[in-house]
Amino acid sequence: MAREKYRFNTPAGRVFDVFNVALLVALGLLAMLPFIYVTAGSFATESELATRSFFLWPETFSLRAYESILTSPAFLRAMITTIAVTAVGTVVQLLLTASMAYPLSKGNLPGRRLMLSLIVFTMVFSGGMIPTFLMVKDLGLLNTYWALILPAAINPFSLIIIKNFFQQLPAELEESAKIDGANELQTLWSVILPLSKPVLATFALFYAVGIWNDFMSPLLYLNDNSMWTLQMFLRQVTVATDLSIIEADPSQLPPAQGVKFAVIVVATLPILLFYPFLQKHFAKGMLIGSVKG
Amino acid sequence: MQHRRRLTAFALLTAGAVALTGCTGGGGDGGDTGESAELDTLSLMVPYLVTNAPSDDNEIHDALEEIAGVDLDITWVPNSSYGDKTNITLAGDDIPHVMVIQGKDPGFVRNAEAGAFWDLTEYLGDYPNLTTTFPEVQQAASVNGKVYGIFRARDVMRAAVIVRKDWLENLGLELPETTEDLYEVAKAFSEQDPDGNGVDDTYGIIIPKWPGAIGTSSPYDVIETWHGAGNRWTERDGELVPNFTTDEWLEAVDYEKQLIDEGLVNPDYATFDSATWNEPFLNGKGGMIIDVHSRAGVLMNLFKESDPENFQNYVDVAGNLVGPDGELYAHPTTGYSGFLAIPKDKVRTEAELRAVLEVLDKLNSAEAGPVLNNGIEGVTYTLDGELAVPVDDAPQDLKDAVLSYSQLGMNVAGFQGYLPKQASAYEQEMYDKRKAIEASDLESAVYDPAAAFVSQTYVSKGAQLDTIVSDARIQYIAGQIDRKGLTDAVALWRSSGGDDIIAEINELAAQAD
Amino acid sequence: MVVLDRSVAATEALVVPPRKRRAGVRVHFTQFKWLYLLLVPGIIYFALFRYGPMGGAIIAFKDYVPFLGIADSPWVGFAHFEDFFASPDFPRLLANTLILALLSLVIAFPLTIVVALLLNELRLNILKRSVQTLIYIPHFLSWTVVASLTYLLFALDAGPLFHAINGLLGTDINFLTDPAWFRPIIVLQDIWKNTGWGTIIFLAALASVDQEQYEAAIIDGAGRFQRVWHITLPSIMPTVVVMLVLQMGQVLNTGFEQIYLMTNSLNRQVADVFDTYVYFMGITQGSYSYSTAVGLFKAVVGVILIFGANWLARRFNQTGIF
Repeated sequence: MAREKYRFNTPAGRVFDVFNVALLVALGLLAMLPFIYVTAGSFATESELATRSFFLWPETFSLRAYESILTSPAFLRAMITTIAVTAVGTVVQLLLTASMAYPLSKGNLPGRRLMLSLIVFTMVFSGGMIPTFLMVKDLGLLNTYWALILPAAINPFSLIIIKNFFQQLPAELEESAKIDGANELQTLWSVILPLSKPVLATFALFYAVGIWNDFMSPLLYLNDNSMWTLQMFLRQVTVATDLSIIEADPSQLPPAQGVKFAVIVVATLPILLFYPFLQKHFAKGMLIGSVKG
Repeated sequence: MQHRRRLTAFALLTAGAVALTGCTGGGGDGGDTGESAELDTLSLMVPYLVTNAPSDDNEIHDALEEIAGVDLDITWVPNSSYGDKTNITLAGDDIPHVMVIQGKDPGFVRNAEAGAFWDLTEYLGDYPNLTTTFPEVQQAASVNGKVYGIFRARDVMRAAVIVRKDWLENLGLELPETTEDLYEVAKAFSEQDPDGNGVDDTYGIIIPKWPGAIGTSSPYDVIETWHGAGNRWTERDGELVPNFTTDEWLEAVDYEKQLIDEGLVNPDYATFDSATWNEPFLNGKGGMIIDVHSRAGVLMNLFKESDPENFQNYVDVAGNLVGPDGELYAHPTTGYSGFLAIPKDKVRTEAELRAVLEVLDKLNSAEAGPVLNNGIEGVTYTLDGELAVPVDDAPQDLKDAVLSYSQLGMNVAGFQGYLPKQASAYEQEMYDKRKAIEASDLESAVYDPAAAFVSQTYVSKGAQLDTIVSDARIQYIAGQIDRKGLTDAVALWRSSGGDDIIAEINELAAQAD
Repeated sequence: MVVLDRSVAATEALVVPPRKRRAGVRVHFTQFKWLYLLLVPGIIYFALFRYGPMGGAIIAFKDYVPFLGIADSPWVGFAHFEDFFASPDFPRLLANTLILALLSLVIAFPLTIVVALLLNELRLNILKRSVQTLIYIPHFLSWTVVASLTYLLFALDAGPLFHAINGLLGTDINFLTDPAWFRPIIVLQDIWKNTGWGTIIFLAALASVDQEQYEAAIIDGAGRFQRVWHITLPSIMPTVVVMLVLQMGQVLNTGFEQIYLMTNSLNRQVADVFDTYVYFMGITQGSYSYSTAVGLFKAVVGVILIFGANWLARRFNQTGIF
């Protein structure tokens, strides 16, 4: 297409492209390197980890670390639990947030500014761990998975950004829906949301990651070990040796370095793979056609 | 088409949500015993350090319940988050009968003094298995004399010097016995190419970054005890003072500085991560580690992995070293790692308390000991005389479970389980040697006379004040400040609240007598 | 640029205060009934989980002991605040915290936008997707891993970066203990860990830019850089401003873990920030009271900064938050 060529094929444009690609690929590799190290370490033997400092490929390949994790039914159960809770939780949180963001994006709604101020205030201040715990307890949510989803259901930051996105959508879209007889609920569902795919996908990712990485909530609200999520394992394996200033219990060895790495890999990989799924929603030009039509 | 797909997805998710609501987690919190002194179920909160908590029905659990005579409802909490969980539990209303408390941190002290836990001082003597044979340890675990829990005994004497045996042999040296020897050996390791590779790439002692306060058994603390400075608190002129106010302490720090200035220690001593402490030893970079002697066992295992034929040539162990004045001051641990406390919110009456103590008494019996510490005979271990041989192909979760159940062990009258048999003759030899060193060093142990006392000022400012001195120690060693800077830091400690702490500790000591 | 004017106008119209509209209030409530209905779940959420627990903030004025519960813990009034402000460490903590926040704002924040823009210029979709996935991986590694890697790379005499940088500059710097290098390393870690992740928001914004504007600009003869400057940047400016305003509210939150892991006796003077200080006090006192008090202080400052930044943004004709 002539237009395409015109856009990019100036000499300066081409140089820039090459430089840009090189730079970004370098950044990508730089970002990747430590994770490769962790992955490589998870496949190495203990003695190799103790002797070589930084490597990207293990000399002796060992599946020992993974064996010890994956043969543990507790770990597998935690994996499935975490995936389920994350999936359901993300949808619930996203729906709650979007449905609240939409009315707040209407500048003429009475009480809007007050509500927004109250919401923003919660970004800088919270009651704290114990008061929130007591509230969850009083609502009877202790030892349920809802305690992992509801207390953080609406992230004020996400709410505000989504609201702003809604605000930037052209007013004609809603007007034409109104002319067709739709109320706001229907407008939201059939017009606004489909057009907000990039931002919704973004926050689906943020919420999913938030739930996935959350170790505080399971710790506080779940007593039953059979309900544990992956982060409890991860935390236990990595933090115990690194952050403790209490003298370590003499009879215990710290977890093997290889196991530590393997847990990191297994606890991180699924959520890493979530992003490529969402990337198609980040495609350009979502608005073309809808305005004209 | 798209609509239908979306609908299906949504339906699935809703179904998932409903299913999740159904799975509201395992059974209830067990036995609410009401007012009677009869106990059906004993609930406990216990930390675990391994990756997996014990599963619900395992043989160890069943065996323990049989011995205890009641159902045991154990809430396993990951060690890395135990502190927060303790406070949450106390703030909530699902409090267990028994809670492991990991240490006398000020949060616990305040809860206890506010009446959260039973004072067991008067009761323990009524139960044969709960009466301790280490009264000093029980005293140290108390809060100003009040025993708020049954302590979990740990080896008292663990400090040792672990040395590269092959390097000693190559240079024709003996294990160090005095601090002077330590210096000589470290020097030899750094300068005389003990691994014979012709490259100047070795040094003497491996010292990691120590984030803990003064007196948390860092290599520095151990060396300072060897020099006669005492262990945390010490007596001078009839008064209890912190060890860092003594001249011996300054001497010791100068000794440490000398070691480092002359390059006999790893150059990154201020930042080296203790999680990787073994690595320089294994890689032939550093030749000595001052730490608990069980690390020798760990090192031997690692050498076994990389060099199964010759692993016995690498590791040797020496005990506490004689100080410059010719005396042996051995550095002990506190002798305990936390204790089992009984919350008053759950255990309301004395009758209930006694019921709980009865069960705990049974759990600390000679019968329960092997179950807690070794597992199930024939499954996780077999007996060879009086020693337990671990069964290698026991299921991993049971092996982990043993490590977790042992967290319940109190052992206040001595270790109740079977001692482990080592995997090879050489290891057994080393093990016995370590135990012998332990026993002989124990006789010269320098206990902390202020271990039991909790000063109010320390509770509110202690940790912050501690870093003043521990930071100054490193800064002086690194050359960032001079000798005067070091003594100024101690003076600053005093004026920022340290003097109050000293006064309070001495008052408490006077009251205790 | 007709299109631009239109969207600006539309945006402005949306923030016109309701007061200026005609008809009576009653009409409005029925007119807005669906909208209020949509708000109900959210309002319940905020009431229950955000504002309900705020009552617990009262422990900042008490000496909270979990066993006694909130109601029965003794009052101490402003004692915690006094301890905090009067502590000789306070000026140093404030300075350290603010400097780190400022560095992050001035360096890391623009960098994120730049990287997002660069990514946007990639034409090969598969390349774009791969790089995106790669650069957001660091976000998932915990600070523990990041810290131990930092130690590996900058280790005295052993770390590859230690050799590389000292070799280049002909110096003998111990990066991990030298107080002068603490802040640069923290900022570098921050950039490495968070930049990739931070681009996601901006990429979403970039994906929503109307392609028609680009087409029109090309026809007008605009070069690449001009297109970025005149179309792309202004289009994502509302997002940038909102992100900036929200960041202001977080200025006093440095992130405890990262700092704690990199602190040692030799760099503590510059490393200690509010969060690590509160952690220490927390250990000594088991004090939820103390950390709540500090949290209150941070909240007050954060609110002032957010409203201030928002007001500034409005002055420059940007959307802001309200």
